[in-house]
Amino acid sequence: MALNDNIKTVVKKSRGTGLLLVLVAAATLEATTLIQYVSSQRMLKREASQRAESELRATRNQIMDVVDQAEAAVHNSIWIARWCLDYPDSLVVVSRRIVEENPSVMGSTFALVPGYDKNHPLFSPYVCRSPEGDIEIKSLATEEYDYPSQEWFTEPLNYGIGYWSEPYVDTGGGNVLMTTYSVPVTDESGRIAAVLTADVSLDWLTDLVGSVRVYPNAFSVMISREGTIMVSPVEEFNMQRSIQDYAKGARDTANFNILAAAMLNGKSGNLVLGQRRRERTSVFYGPVEKTGWSMAIVIPDSEIYGEIRRMGVLVGILMLVGLSMLILILTATARSQLKYAEVNEKKERMEHELSIGHNIQMSMIPKTFPPFPERKDIDMAATIVPAKAVGGDLYDFFIREEKLYFCIGDVSGKGVPASLLMSVTRTLFRSVASHEKSPQRIVTLINDAMSDMNENDMFVTFFCGILDMATGHLRYCNAGHNPPLIFTDEVRMLPVLPNLPLGVMGGVHFPEQELDLACDNALFLYTDGVTEAENISHEQFGEDRMISVLRERRDSQGHLKAMEKAVADFVGDAEQSDDLTMLFIHYLNDMKPDATERHLILHNNIQQIPQLADFIETIANEMRLDQGLAMSLNLALEEAVTNVILYAYPAGSDGLVDIEAIMGKDILEFIISDSGVAFDPTAAPEADISLGVEDRPIGGLGIFLVRNIMDTVSYQRTDGKNILSMTKKL
Amino acid sequence: MEVIINKENAVTNVRLVGRLDTPASQEVSEQLEPIMANASGTIVLDCTEMSYISSSGLRIFLSLRKAAASQGGKIIVKNISDDIRQVFMMTGFLNLFEIE
Repeated sequence: MALNDNIKTVVKKSRGTGLLLVLVAAATLEATTLIQYVSSQRMLKREASQRAESELRATRNQIMDVVDQAEAAVHNSIWIARWCLDYPDSLVVVSRRIVEENPSVMGSTFALVPGYDKNHPLFSPYVCRSPEGDIEIKSLATEEYDYPSQEWFTEPLNYGIGYWSEPYVDTGGGNVLMTTYSVPVTDESGRIAAVLTADVSLDWLTDLVGSVRVYPNAFSVMISREGTIMVSPVEEFNMQRSIQDYAKGARDTANFNILAAAMLNGKSGNLVLGQRRRERTSVFYGPVEKTGWSMAIVIPDSEIYGEIRRMGVLVGILMLVGLSMLILILTATARSQLKYAEVNEKKERMEHELSIGHNIQMSMIPKTFPPFPERKDIDMAATIVPAKAVGGDLYDFFIREEKLYFCIGDVSGKGVPASLLMSVTRTLFRSVASHEKSPQRIVTLINDAMSDMNENDMFVTFFCGILDMATGHLRYCNAGHNPPLIFTDEVRMLPVLPNLPLGVMGGVHFPEQELDLACDNALFLYTDGVTEAENISHEQFGEDRMISVLRERRDSQGHLKAMEKAVADFVGDAEQSDDLTMLFIHYLNDMKPDATERHLILHNNIQQIPQLADFIETIANEMRLDQGLAMSLNLALEEAVTNVILYAYPAGSDGLVDIEAIMGKDILEFIISDSGVAFDPTAAPEADISLGVEDRPIGGLGIFLVRNIMDTVSYQRTDGKNILSMTKKL
Repeated sequence: MEVIINKENAVTNVRLVGRLDTPASQEVSEQLEPIMANASGTIVLDCTEMSYISSSGLRIFLSLRKAAASQGGKIIVKNISDDIRQVFMMTGFLNLFEIE
């Protein structure tokens, strides 16, 4: 019971523990997933950043190739240009050479600073490549163009170094996006004389930048030094709007302004735009040196983290499902354990109660051996070794009116039902046998009672016997039980009629049998637990082994112990399959009359002594005493009685001597009483038998003989009578 | 109890036949008085047919023994049964008599 309480508590506790466990597991899982998620996010961000930066670098490098090429073309021509300053007509050669030799250069001019050459106040021959690839030459020294006011001309002169112009759409050359690199050219005196330029088409730039696609939905933007959007996925913005403009209308203006400023300042880095998580966009930017441009790669966060976010959702769902299942399983387990504990407790309680029942039952069955210690005519032993805690075997016996009533039985089946039926059978035996005097009646009545209430088709094999203790006459009735063994000169089966077991059907006649047991005969009753005990190889102990064990001479308890041991040795490690029940009855009545009394009354006449001799002889014959003992007893009695006859009564008066012999099993008692004068013969002095002939007194031997022959001699004076009691053990 | 007395020269042969109990002892005692009075010779007590002896019988044996001792005679107890020998032993008579 305590154990079950513990289980219950543990289960109850484990319910709480289980919930805690789930929570801890959930928290751990959540934390792990979160950490993984965050670190994955970082990793993805880093990866995106790396990819963006490498794209930026690659794009910039490609641009720089073109830029360097253009710059080199221009710079390499400066010395010629300087040399040609004195011959302006030849200047066109310089530009032509630049265009012809550099495929990326679309056009080139050598523009003189106004007023440098008096002959040519404005001079700027422009060599360009037509869309068809032919070299064309025009003059930019027109009034409407007014080249000295153009950026490509003014800026290099202002800075005194090479200058990349803001990109522009060349309307003259077929709406091509262009940029111009222009370098001031000084004459030999160090005076700035002209500006040499190379126009670079930026058509490839659109393709180049447009082709940068780090992620499917990512895009790139190139802005000029001034912030003009040169290349972007939105066609209408290109060369039309500036980043500053765009920033004003952007959702996250603040960050956009920071981005714009950083890009315009030629910084590199990254920035996240967008307030709401879903709208967030990572921008990686970096400058394109020399040109003053800045390029940005824009990647929506959904692109960067899309995978992991989808994964996150999936993991979340999985986690939820898993946790729910865990909770379900845990609850179910706890419930089933609780149920198991309850069932176990019920079972345990039931078994406990049954074992109490069994103990009560066993306590009613005689278990103390020897059962009749005061009786010398019977030696009995019995035992039940149950296979399960509660068994279905029974035995019982009792002595009523000098008859031994005994029975043995085996209930079909095992365990609880068998034990209950065993109780019923035993109770019926006790109640029926307490007033019935024949085994046939006992068995019939038990069978009828049992058949009436037997609804479970269980039955009991049963053997019932009644042994007349005085005569050894045995009456018995068998109801389907194993035939008992009878020990006479040999050991053999008691002849039994098989008959039906008890409880099969009512109204059946059970014939009775009878037999006379002699002194030292014995009966051995047993259940099939003995003969059908099996060893590991499923061999049965069998009747032959059983009989051979019993051949040796032992007392009844010894027989049962030997049998138990023999069966146990035979069975070995195999499990005891059935109850082992045995009853041994050793009949030891040698028909001596039990404590019979014989009486002799003599007159105080010495001539009556021969009657005493006859009396003793009869007793000796009755008790089958040997002749020597008979003579000794006769002698002792004669001495004692003679003493009374001769001295108890005054001479001439008439008196009687009463001699009572009590014949016990192994003791003979004589009580000699008279109404004469008080005289205690036991008080007489002991005769000295060592004296010689001369000193030896003639008398005094009588009481001496009495004392020597008998085991006890005692005298008492009661109610005016001398009572001398003498006993002799046999 | 039957007592058969047979005198041959100096040897008196006394055959005791039957039970020498108390009443018998009284008779036997009277019958043996002449022998007791003249116990200077050898007296053989033939017990072959004596089946029982009581203390009064033993008294006769002892009286004879004493008489013989005082008169210079001799008592020989002949053929006592085992049971009677037990009684003799018990009473110390085995030491007092010559037993054949």
